[in-house]
Formats: sequence, C-alpha cells, structure tokens
Amino acid sequence: MKIKILLGVSTVLMLVALYMVFIFAPETESGVVQRIFYFHIPLAWIAFLAFFVVFVASIMYLWKRDIKWDAFASSSAEVGLVFTTLFLLTGSIWAKPEWGVWWTWDSRLTSSLILWLIYIAYFIIRSYISEEGQRARFSSVIGIIGFIDVPIVVITIFLWRTAHPRIEAMDPRVTATLMVSIATFTALYFLLFALRLAMKQDEDKLNRLKAFLRR
Amino acid sequence: MDNLGYLFAAFAVIWAGLFTYILVLTQKQRQLRRDIDWLKETLKKSE
Amino acid sequence: MKTLNKALVIAWKDILSETRTKEIISSVLVFSILVIVIFNFAFSGSQQTMISLAPGILWVTFAFAGVLSLNRAFIQEKDDDCLEGLMMCPVGRETIYLGKMLGSLFFMLFVEAIVLPVFALLFNVNVISLPLIAITVLTTLGFVTIGTLFSALAVNTKAREMVLPILFFPIVAPIIISAVSASGMALGGESWGSISSWLGVIAAFDVIFLVVSYFVFSFVIEE
Repeated sequence: MKIKILLGVSTVLMLVALYMVFIFAPETESGVVQRIFYFHIPLAWIAFLAFFVVFVASIMYLWKRDIKWDAFASSSAEVGLVFTTLFLLTGSIWAKPEWGVWWTWDSRLTSSLILWLIYIAYFIIRSYISEEGQRARFSSVIGIIGFIDVPIVVITIFLWRTAHPRIEAMDPRVTATLMVSIATFTALYFLLFALRLAMKQDEDKLNRLKAFLRR
Repeated sequence: MDNLGYLFAAFAVIWAGLFTYILVLTQKQRQLRRDIDWLKETLKKSE
Repeated sequence: MKTLNKALVIAWKDILSETRTKEIISSVLVFSILVIVIFNFAFSGSQQTMISLAPGILWVTFAFAGVLSLNRAFIQEKDDDCLEGLMMCPVGRETIYLGKMLGSLFFMLFVEAIVLPVFALLFNVNVISLPLIAITVLTTLGFVTIGTLFSALAVNTKAREMVLPILFFPIVAPIIISAVSASGMALGGESWGSISSWLGVIAAFDVIFLVVSYFVFSFVIEE
C-alpha cells in the first residue's frame, strides 16, 4: 500500500521534474550541460540523507538490539551507495565539458569518493561475517564511524583545495526546478528504500526459517 | 554549444543505474520466491 | 584516574610481551625502511622534487606501517586466546580499548622515532623540528584511536588482515591529507600560524574518534 503511493508520487514528480528541467528552467551561460546539475545535486543530497538514515538506524540497533534496525541500516546504505555512484558518474560527465577533464581532485569530488569507499567497505565487511548478530553489530559501528567521518573529510578537503562552482544568486525558476527535482529524488529514495527493506526483512525471516528447518 | 551529448550521457547513466539496481532487486526477489517454494515443499514432505 | 591506571597496566603488558618477542616493532621497522627505499627507487629526482615528495612518502609509509602493526595488536590476542582472558579481567571494555590503544601508540611512536631520522638522512631533509614532531604525534594518535577499534573488529571476521586496510584508509583519509599538507609546510620552514589550522583538523579528528571509539568498542568485542 505504502509502496504503491510512493510509486505514484515518484512517477508524477518525475514527469514534472523532467518538464521543469528541460523546458521550464532557463538556459544559463554555461549552456545545456548545466541541466545535469538538476539531477546531480538531488542525487548528492539523497546520498547524504541515506547515510544519515544508516547512522541513526545503526545507533538504534546498538541501543535496542532489534535486528529490524540492521535491516533499516543496510537497506538505506545500499540505496545510498547506488545514488552516490550515480552522483559521482554524473559529476564526472559534467566535469568533462566544463573543466575539460573527467576527474579532478577537487574538494567535493574527493570527499564524495572517500564517502563512496567507506560504504563500499561497509558492504565488503558485511559479506565477511556470517553470524547475524555480529554482522549487525559490526556494520552498525562502521555506519556510525563512517558518518561521523564525513564532515571531517569535507572540512579537510575544503582546506586542501576547491574548484567547485559555488551556488550564487539563482533565477527563481532555477531554484524551483531544483526544489522539485530534490522532492522527486527524495520520493524515489523512499520508494527504493521501502522496497529493499521489505525484501531484506523477508530474506531475514526466510533465512531463520531455513536454519530452523535444517536443524 | 555542442554539449548535448554530455547531457544525454548523464541522463542515460542515471536511468541505466536505476534500472540496473531495480533489476538486481528483481533478481533477489526471484531468489526469495524460489526459497519460499523450497520451504513449502519441504514442509509438505515432512507432514 | 583509576581507569587510566588500569589501561596503563594493559598497555604495559603489551610492551612487556613485545620486549620479549620483538615481533611487531622489528618487522614494522624493517617494513617502513623498505617502503622508504622503494619510494626512493620509484621517484628518483632532483633534490627539489624530492623535498616536495617527501611529506607524501613519509605519510604513506607511516600509514602502511600503522596498518601492519595495528593488525598484530589483536591477532596475537585472538590466536593465543588471550582476548577471553582480557575480557574476564575486572575492567570495563573501555579500559581494554584504552590499554590496547596506548600500547599501539607506544609501538608506533617508537618506530617513528627511528624511521624519521633515517628518512631525514636518506632524503636529505631536516625533520627534527618541533612542528613536525607535533604533527607526527597527533596524526599517530589519530591512526591508533580508529585503528585499534577496527583491528578488534577485523580480527573477528573471516578475512582478518584484509579488513583493516579497507576500513582504515578511507576513514583516516582526512588526517593523512592534513598530515601531508602540514608536514610539507613544516619542511618548507613555514611558521606555526599556517600549520596550526591543519593541526587543528588533526586534533579534532583525534578527539572525536577517541571519544566515539571509546564508547562503541564494547560492541565490537562482546561475545
């Protein structure tokens, strides 16, 4: 039921967002590639939201010891990782025409890459632990430490170097488009997250049943 | 402004990424279904 | 104060057993010097380029050496079933963390105290300066705070030695960046003023992760 509503909302929002990104939003001086940014920024924001959910769910797990919170954390981390990957790729595609290179060690690129590596490690380590409770505990610890590391990474790398465009006074139409786009991706995040979570919980239940039957 | 290709590429990447992810999820779902069937059969046999 | 005393006892235990086996310090020391020598082969250049590369080489070496020595910190305990004994001691898990952390800190600093002069000699740079020592101590503290936590985590997984580096490097990336930048400035003879903002970042990292690791450590070794 919830999933159907989310699916409807994200479909409608996606259509509106596409209209706004390609037709409603005015062309800026950097030309047509600038339109990438309407999807690039929401992806980044959602990735961050997803990892924040991981952080909160990890704390909740260590506190309550309910495996449900581990399902929350790992599902959100997975969606967050997908969004971070897309965000890195679109950023790279934007950088090529704008800066002439696919990659540069700019502040935000570097910090996003580190963020991405932290959550890759999160999943690698999950795959190394077979016992459910231990896996949940360890990944909660990584979920907490990883998220706390993010602001430090960002501050450090800003001190280090930056070439990223700063957001200056924007056309109200640009702002509106960006807002709709963020709303779209937020809905999409919750949709994917809910799907993954439901599946994860079924998986866990099934595994427990299987273990019980094999005994 | 001949950068339309890049815009296209960026959107293609987003869609391709999301679809791949959904594909992976569907595959997992199928695996779950198979497991459930297996469980049901085992249960039936044991009864 | 009592906690600190108990932690010092645990650290002392590690130091004592290390003086008998010399397992960690000798291998990490040789490893560090080998890494420096290999870097020298990889980047042979003029004196000027070497000076600009020196901070990077130094910190890559120390980061690798850190992983090597931190890995040992818990593998030994686990293999000889000492961890159970340690956990049965009438001390909190937090105290075990502090003790192991202080032990590793001591080993790392000991190795660095030998490697730094060798490095200075081989690269013809002046490393014996107050800013550089401050940077080294603070960054090493950062390495061991987070490294001890992850080392205890890694030893309980299937892949053991492989887990620590993949977790450790992304998390310590900010202090490696800060340490490299700050040491570059220190080697270039810059004043405290410009170095201090980097030192601030490293110190903040140390404090934050010392506190966080202190509290989450008990979740990593409970069994």
